[in-house]
Amino acid sequence: MSERVILCIGTKKGLFVAEAPKTRRTFALRGPFSSGVAVYSALIDARGAPRLYASSCNAFFGMKVLRSTDLGKTFNETKSAPAFPKEDGRALVNIWSLEAGDTKKELWCGVEPASLFRSSDGGDSWEMVPSISNHEHARKWQPGNGGLCMHTILRDGNRVHLGISTGGHYLSEDRGTTFTASNQGVGAGFAPDPYPEFGQCVHKIAGHKDAPGRLYMQNHGGWAKWDGPGGPRPDIGVLRSDDHGKTWRSIAKGLPSDFGFPIVVHPDDADTVYVLPLEPSTRTCPGAAPAVWRSEDGGGSWKRLARGLPKKESFFTVQRDAMDIDELKSPALYFGTTTGQLWIGRDGGEQWSCLYDSLPPIHCVKVAVV
Amino acid sequence: MTRAPSIKIDIPGALRDCCGGATELSLAVSSVRAALEQIERRYPSLYRNICDETGAVRRHINLFVNTSHVRDREGLDTALVPGDVVTILPAISGG
Repeated sequence: MSERVILCIGTKKGLFVAEAPKTRRTFALRGPFSSGVAVYSALIDARGAPRLYASSCNAFFGMKVLRSTDLGKTFNETKSAPAFPKEDGRALVNIWSLEAGDTKKELWCGVEPASLFRSSDGGDSWEMVPSISNHEHARKWQPGNGGLCMHTILRDGNRVHLGISTGGHYLSEDRGTTFTASNQGVGAGFAPDPYPEFGQCVHKIAGHKDAPGRLYMQNHGGWAKWDGPGGPRPDIGVLRSDDHGKTWRSIAKGLPSDFGFPIVVHPDDADTVYVLPLEPSTRTCPGAAPAVWRSEDGGGSWKRLARGLPKKESFFTVQRDAMDIDELKSPALYFGTTTGQLWIGRDGGEQWSCLYDSLPPIHCVKVAVV
Repeated sequence: MTRAPSIKIDIPGALRDCCGGATELSLAVSSVRAALEQIERRYPSLYRNICDETGAVRRHINLFVNTSHVRDREGLDTALVPGDVVTILPAISGG
């Protein structure tokens, strides 16, 4: 069967799946699945026979994990969803991240309140990972505006990187047996200490398979004019690490705002990184004119990409998991908005067009070529 | 030894898949808590939809004994007598 592009679009009212041939000329939309229920995370596991996963965050009946083995034509609930041990005292509020593990059936899952779960049977059973879920810092983390969520799980051999809002970046170098707060150079704007050991409001972390030591972070920026204790903290919002996340440095110079949620790396070039700057006070695009900003030199300089996007009167937010990039030769970016629009940026974001303009508010967008 | 009374649990449509399509269950129990414990053993999927992992009834789930909300009686310790009907109702509310 010829390759095609599959998009998973998690919204406030369920999951949609869009499919297109490699030309991406036209997309066919399916769904909503788990209709009426919010979907905050999705995973397209393209290893071998593709499997699609999504979280279904039901306010009435609790969390579910959905699985599809037919490219999103049908979804079924797995036999169980992550759950804290009864004696733990915490209850699952949301599922924020799903990532593939080493084996075909291994899955990792980040949840709210910030904790990590692992499944070895494709999501039918789950066990809590105590090294981070019961970390000595865990009961000191504070919820951000979106809740106390573990939203990023990045794996690189024995290393596991976690992003927690509001907890910071945690690194394991032993496949998750132990975790250490690793936030040197990651600023926080809402604490007297501008560079605490942990507790930063990390929004998203991205890496690249060919540059394992290199990481990019969208942190909670927007503190350049802070006049409280500790003084202003300019440019703490967009960061880069070259040592597996042990130290971080700002790459925010040249952006119109260092606040934003998603951060995405080009599939074939670890120096090319994309962000979508937002006004820190409103979480909308600067000047009401949306734009993705691209750096082709690892954050040394930035270029505004807005051809085809609205030039004015546009007041949406793009959430942390709502931007992705495909892996075709000339990759396309995709982002979904809180106003229900799904945009595609062809030719690496040079030319934008709206694929769907009236979906429910979009929480996450994942793309894969299968 | 006293035999526990037989009561009926009314299952909402959205949860019937969790108990083989049954619209109601008959249980020999003498309190709401005992009813939930039996549901946990016999229909774990149904239980997870009603209670979270701490054992608390989910925030938007209401349990009624006949026409009384259990919160207005003795909560999960509300006693049940033969013929009682426990109704599970998701609170359809909000925007």
